Amino acid sequence: MDDPIAPAAGGVTASEPRAPWAAGDAVRRSMLIAAGLGAAALLPLVLGTYPIHVLTVACYYVILASSWNLIAGYTGLFSLAHHAFAGIGAYASALLALRAGAPVPAAIACGGLCACAAGYGLGAVTLRMRALYLALATWAFAESVRIVVSMEYGVTRGDLGLAVPLLLPTSSPRPYYELFLACAAATVGGLALLLRSRIGYRLRAIRDDETVARAAGVNTVRWKRFVFGMSSGIAGLAGALYGHYIGLLSPAAMQFDEMALIIIMVILGGQRTLVGPVIGAVVVEVASEALRAYGQLRMVVFALLVIAIMRVYPPGLAGLGRMLWTRLRHGLAAGDTTGHRARQPE
Amino acid sequence: MDATLLTQYALAGLVIGAIYCLMAVGITFIYSVMRMINWAMGEFYMIGGYAQYLLITDWLGPERWYVALPLAIAGVGVLGMVVQRVLLRPMFAGGIERLDEYATIVTISLTVLFRNLAVVIFGPYQFSPRDYAPPVQLGPLPVNGSRFVAFLGAVALLGLFAWVVRRTWFGLAIRSVAQNRVGALSAGINLSRIDMLAFGIGVALAGAAGALLAPVFLVYPQSGALSTVKGFEIIVIGGLGSLTGSIVGGLLLGLVESLGSVLISPAFRDVYGFGLLVLILALRPTGLWGERAREA
Repeated sequence: MDDPIAPAAGGVTASEPRAPWAAGDAVRRSMLIAAGLGAAALLPLVLGTYPIHVLTVACYYVILASSWNLIAGYTGLFSLAHHAFAGIGAYASALLALRAGAPVPAAIACGGLCACAAGYGLGAVTLRMRALYLALATWAFAESVRIVVSMEYGVTRGDLGLAVPLLLPTSSPRPYYELFLACAAATVGGLALLLRSRIGYRLRAIRDDETVARAAGVNTVRWKRFVFGMSSGIAGLAGALYGHYIGLLSPAAMQFDEMALIIIMVILGGQRTLVGPVIGAVVVEVASEALRAYGQLRMVVFALLVIAIMRVYPPGLAGLGRMLWTRLRHGLAAGDTTGHRARQPE
Repeated sequence: MDATLLTQYALAGLVIGAIYCLMAVGITFIYSVMRMINWAMGEFYMIGGYAQYLLITDWLGPERWYVALPLAIAGVGVLGMVVQRVLLRPMFAGGIERLDEYATIVTISLTVLFRNLAVVIFGPYQFSPRDYAPPVQLGPLPVNGSRFVAFLGAVALLGLFAWVVRRTWFGLAIRSVAQNRVGALSAGINLSRIDMLAFGIGVALAGAAGALLAPVFLVYPQSGALSTVKGFEIIVIGGLGSLTGSIVGGLLLGLVESLGSVLISPAFRDVYGFGLLVLILALRPTGLWGERAREA
């Protein structure tokens, strides 16, 4: 029952009974995950082209939200440049493919590497900044990247948008969907492995108390740079893939609204959980497509939901699902279902 | 490049700089009292602009702009106090694990909320109230009347703000809270009331900038985005938590932008600020007046 994923020292207590995807029996859990993935992979058989496109975009956001959850949720480095790294990856890959004639898959890999390097650099520069200054510095970095991309129109075609060669020679979204689904699954799976390794403990230790972590022998400098590079690299890969799927890049995708969207997804789903960003990204993306008729009112509702979650129920949708599942299993009377709300004293 | 033109641009830079000061002083004031950054500052600026536009085009008429201004500013201030009371006060009531993270997430959500609410209510259109003041001749230089009013208004508000903070009992209470919350509490200062008023005042400064600039720039849902950028640039340049820093930084930024666009190229107008920011961070990482180490 002692699940290493449970952040023992984080804000969520590990004592509560867990949902089936996290509960005891590892075999049953992996069977559930496999069944879920299989069902998701079979969706193109029953859904039309457009819903599949929406789900593909949702997978893209799953990758972004999960990797941001790694750096901001688990490691506590509240970076506001995640969308910019996706943009860096996308533009680097597109320019390599267009100007240097690189094959698209190689270009995507290079895009990811570029974003990883940029993230590593930013992590190194902002090492000693904490909290507010880190947020300000990463935000300023993201804004500068966006301005440079829109100004250097000789190279990036600026706000006109850059037409990008497609990854696959097909107009059907289905192979793209399968690819994005695989990538999203790989990201979440990889993060799960990372978080239950020793590295995962080091990262959470940095979040909980950096000084104590250092005193306990965690090389905080190395792991902060590592987590910046890692999450930026993932975001860059996702951005590059997405660019070669949509076929058009523009600096508008690097506006701060995009970062706000990622934050909304992670908070709505549940910070510092593996399933949270997945749920959040899929719910937000699918709901905003389904409710397209309501225009900007959707974003108003999402923002209100996030504020409400921060204010009264920080575990988010993932915590809510877990609580409901526990109640279903144990009946209303049994079980400490409010366990998530126990937080560290200040 | 003749001297008249250069003076004119420098003057225009100072006029805009004074408005930037309002934003920056608001951000740094809220930071010093509540130790949080209000990311939704630009949205309060935007709301101030809408309030002023509605007041002078629909209700009061353009000739009574001087009635509309205080109303718009007070309205934004009251909205800020409500936001603080409902969303931010629980930060200090215990139970929230990381204050800065909570404040960041909530205020970023507020930007999304207000921006999209503006689109829902007023549509994505750009509004601009008519100029209400005739052009002013300032020595040899003609200045757009509304711009001049905005400049005077900003200077007057900054003066009033400085007077309140430096010379009144209320200002003394605020400064004591900024220095040491526990100490202020034990001296009998009602912390939650000071927090609420400070947030309202800080946000009202942004609203004032928006209301003053309504006839100069356009009023639209994203109009706050750029002013948030400027505000934060000034904060980093001047040093977080320093009022002098924000005022000097604001004027400096206005000057650099204005002179940069005439001497180098106007296309990169919004990049000069970042250039200045990088330069100052490289030379003096705490900003010009930042007194603390870079650990918020």
